[in-house]
Amino acid sequence: MTSKLNFLINMSLGRKIKTKWFMISNIILAVIIVGVINIDTIITFFGGDFDKKQEIYVIDNTQKSYDLFEQQLRIAEQTFYPDKEEETYDLKLYDKNLEEAKKLIEEDTSRWVIVFDDDEENAIAATLVSEGYIGTFEYQLISSAINNTKIALAINETDLPVDEVAKLYSPIEIDRVYLDEDKLSEEEGIERIMSTVFPVLIFPFFMLVISLVQMIGAEVNDEKSTRGMEIIISNVSPQTHFASKIIAGNMFVLIQGGLLLLFGGIGLLIRKLIGEKSILDGFGKEVTSYLNTILDTGLGEQLIYIIPLTIILMILTFISYSLLAGILASMTTNTEDFQQLQTPLMIILLFGYYLSMFASYMEGSVFIKIVSFFPLISAILSPSLLVLGQIGLIEIIASIIICIVFNWLLIKYGLKIYKVGILNYSSKDLWKKMFKALKN
Amino acid sequence: MLKVANISKSYGEVLAVDNLSFTVKPGEIFGLLGVNGAGKTTTFRIIMGLLDADQGEVTLNGKKIDYSVTDKIGFLTEERSLLTKLTVKEQCLFYGALKGMTKEKILKRLDELLERFQITEYKDRKIKELSKGNQQKIQFITAILNEPELLILDEPFTGLDPINIELFKKEIIQMAQKGSMIIFSTHRMEHVELFCKKIVVLLCGRSVLEGYISDIKEKYRKKNIFLKADIDKEKIKKIPGVIDVIEKSDELEVKIESSDVVDNVFEVVKKAKNLTKFVVEEPSLNEIFVAKVGEAYDK
Repeated sequence: MTSKLNFLINMSLGRKIKTKWFMISNIILAVIIVGVINIDTIITFFGGDFDKKQEIYVIDNTQKSYDLFEQQLRIAEQTFYPDKEEETYDLKLYDKNLEEAKKLIEEDTSRWVIVFDDDEENAIAATLVSEGYIGTFEYQLISSAINNTKIALAINETDLPVDEVAKLYSPIEIDRVYLDEDKLSEEEGIERIMSTVFPVLIFPFFMLVISLVQMIGAEVNDEKSTRGMEIIISNVSPQTHFASKIIAGNMFVLIQGGLLLLFGGIGLLIRKLIGEKSILDGFGKEVTSYLNTILDTGLGEQLIYIIPLTIILMILTFISYSLLAGILASMTTNTEDFQQLQTPLMIILLFGYYLSMFASYMEGSVFIKIVSFFPLISAILSPSLLVLGQIGLIEIIASIIICIVFNWLLIKYGLKIYKVGILNYSSKDLWKKMFKALKN
Repeated sequence: MLKVANISKSYGEVLAVDNLSFTVKPGEIFGLLGVNGAGKTTTFRIIMGLLDADQGEVTLNGKKIDYSVTDKIGFLTEERSLLTKLTVKEQCLFYGALKGMTKEKILKRLDELLERFQITEYKDRKIKELSKGNQQKIQFITAILNEPELLILDEPFTGLDPINIELFKKEIIQMAQKGSMIIFSTHRMEHVELFCKKIVVLLCGRSVLEGYISDIKEKYRKKNIFLKADIDKEKIKKIPGVIDVIEKSDELEVKIESSDVVDNVFEVVKKAKNLTKFVVEEPSLNEIFVAKVGEAYDK
């Protein structure tokens, strides 16, 4: 019987992997994943207006504002874009009137014009002309530079020494004091894990569970609807058949999961090779910064057990979903019925996903803690709570034990349903038949 | 030897098989007959272990049928149980491996059978692309791929034309000659008479008639006389022992209670003009089946 089990596993796995569609879908996935990781480089490669400097024409009717405005604009740029090395604005002094300047905007609608005029009441007045809307952020930057220009003009008219004036212009360095430095770095690390590493793990998990449930359901339904099941079950026991579906399905998702990680790795490698030219920081810089943040917090030590425990919990949860999918598929008589039954499974999964997102906002929620022990959800929720420090090692081990017990119960009682269900072709008295099967 | 002993199975309040017993010896072709819903498929499912009987036992060569002996059994289900997305070769490799056969052995046997059933060109074609008749051939090939000791055929002739029925019949007879036990179901009595020696007729899960066909016909006693003559059929009807006279296209079929009535009929008929035919025949199995099932219904 072992050789027949091996044969059925190989056959089931082969039917999923040794197909041109598996290859095609993975080629598409590889292209998408590598593309998403290097999206900034791709965008830069094709070029566009985004990397063009914003042209600003300045009409200085005051004859004294342009230089000061340029100086203040650069200071504002440094304050608003601290990491940017290149200047964002291309400033030009324009010696014609506003009507002429408007023609410049007509030629290129992205241009802006600023007009400085003398004003008796406010020293200077400014007019900002553009084709349309200017983003709030940029408007604030320009407005800040214009206001500072006015202050600079006023300072220049005083007799302050040059070094005093320089001091006034320089931005204030704010010294932040944290009473608990450890907590600061820990929270920063958690924030980084929750916002980057965790979604990267959860999203493929989510996708793979959906694929696993659909795959097992479709396979069982296919064998049932063609009545091939009768021949199969007359040669191998329902237990062997069930085991082959579960093992093959889980092997498939592990292979697919491994491939997704591989594609991610290739994407990062490509990013490293071409990263220097990207508009964002280089690969090395980013990863080092992330790793440093995480390691500085002491989370690095915790990750040594968080990652293996998360992987164990995920594998156990894959098994739970596959067992449920197999049992439900055996009860249905066609794929349409199974699709309806799989919807609650997907909602449970989504519920876990959203709760893991809420967990960081609702720190200490008893409800979320309790739900984190529930099988089918625990793989998403427990590691989140562990990273957030809301549960400890014992709780996550408890989740694993609960998941193992849950799977054992599914196997023990689910097999009874599966044995009757796979040879049942009528939905009449379905629940009666299933309860009867459970009693036997 | 296949021994089915006192098996019963009910679905809720419906008794599908009621205390059924029969045996099939090596080399025997056994017919399990009955109208639709008589319990034939349930009986086969119990034999194959797909259903547990509420009572009774099924043994093959003295051993209870379980997964240790299923490699010796071939099974053709009533409805097509083909994995239609696979090719003929893939399906046979799959089912053959489930029977514990090696790949080489499966392919060799498959080539032989495809040749015998004149469909070698379909080896690499997807099953869903084949006609119903060819799909039935593939299903039959799959069932006999492992040269089974026990072959169970549930309505094997469904969807087949007379030429293919002959092909199946030839193969089934050959397998029986090699010592296989063959058990098959049908509601077409002419198929049973072609090559069955022993039958059980089921009605509502109960056996209403069983034994060797020759014995059944012997016990049935009733005969049919086919005659051609210028005679009024009412005159024949009046003869004691005549059950009915049916007018056919150019002859009369006289149904009599037993062979003792033949002489009396002949005495009357021989006086008629233009007597060109007077043949006494045993009743067909179909006739016996209809009569027995009718009797059972009446009861």
